Amino acid sequence: MEKNKKGGIIGVIITIIILIILVFITNINSENISIIENVANNIVMPIENALTYLKNKLNNNDKFFENIDELKNENSSLKQENSELEQKLREFEIIKNENEQLKQQLNLAEKYSEFTTVPGTIISRDISNYSKTLVINVGSDNGIEEKMTVIADEGLVGYVISTTNKTSKIQTIIDSASATSCLASSTRDTMICKGTIENKSQLSASNIATDARIIQGDSVETSGLGGIYVKGIHVGRIKKVNEGSNKTDSYAIIETAVDFEKLETVLVITN
Amino acid sequence: MKKILIHIIIVITFIIIYLLQAVFFSEFTIAGIMPNIFVIFMLYIGLYMGKENGITYGIIFGIFIDIWIGKTLGLTSIALAIIGFISGTLDKTFSKDSRIIILLMGSICTIVYEIMLYVMQYLVLKINVEILQFIKILSIETIYNVLLIIIIYPLMKLTGYEIENEIKGDKILTRYF
Repeated sequence: MEKNKKGGIIGVIITIIILIILVFITNINSENISIIENVANNIVMPIENALTYLKNKLNNNDKFFENIDELKNENSSLKQENSELEQKLREFEIIKNENEQLKQQLNLAEKYSEFTTVPGTIISRDISNYSKTLVINVGSDNGIEEKMTVIADEGLVGYVISTTNKTSKIQTIIDSASATSCLASSTRDTMICKGTIENKSQLSASNIATDARIIQGDSVETSGLGGIYVKGIHVGRIKKVNEGSNKTDSYAIIETAVDFEKLETVLVITN
Repeated sequence: MKKILIHIIIVITFIIIYLLQAVFFSEFTIAGIMPNIFVIFMLYIGLYMGKENGITYGIIFGIFIDIWIGKTLGLTSIALAIIGFISGTLDKTFSKDSRIIILLMGSICTIVYEIMLYVMQYLVLKINVEILQFIKILSIETIYNVLLIIIIYPLMKLTGYEIENEIKGDKILTRYF
């Protein structure tokens, strides 16, 4: 009996460890992998260097190192130059990002200036793997009504499906029950963008006309058809066009402009 | 008096579970997939409190989830009530002393719950059918739930029999004799 109990506790501990390992391994991103690679490199590098040095010695290739002092000096001056250049590059990157952000804000302010908006903060996200609704902290008391369009700085988020006095529920465009009528900005081809259960940042665009000329990288915006979404709101960019066996089967993958994983505040268009 | 206390504890546990699912498990995922601890909770209620309580709590908790975050009122409610009923029925056929049986029940309940909800959403909300992706998510979710049941099984067993003795009372004896 005592043995069974001990076995049970060990089983539970092992399961907890397995679970934690599974969670970490499956959520590891490429940035972390590169850190691991760096650590491994740091360990292996001195050994590799020593072996190369030995090989050079044996093959009489070590004449390279005769003027080693000169090389060392040159190396240190180059390193310094390199770090100065890197510093400058970083400064340029910061300025570039700032410039892009300001440009974007200016465009958005001009683009959405005709709308009256109410800001809201997300207070709850969906608890299921299969749907992606949100709850925000503004409701009918703030003038929010059903079917109002919800946007973020980057573009379309979804629409209000129900409200209480203080909260509103939003059906996002990435929800699998969502279908948004859109059009490609440059070619003006219409399409229906639907959410998928697998991906939180992609939409599947179907019902594309057979003579449409969908371009990869083209911007996609709402068409205003369907009576829910306001016309001309940025949805995302066309990531990939999949041509089916016949023209009517073709569909496109749209990368949403809004990062739903990091989304915290939204704007509800009230007019 | 003790019965009322048990019901209060069940409601408080549900609130804790909701917060766990919404805050902790939304981040602590396996390949971006969350477990569904409501199913485990309904399995627990069905097994140790009987199918009547299972159905009642399934409906109440489901309505709460639907009102707060769901798209249509009633879908989660029906699915959770059915899980409460199934686990109550399974209790009469199988012994819950075996860990393996509980794990099997947990996986069956998770699969049945998600398929049921998906079909209902397809019929009511006209969602897109993505069978392959659905199977992939469901498989990971089931494995996650099984791992969680292994971890909390000792706690389930310990508290479960206390609750069963109190709620089912004398009825419990007729099962074995």
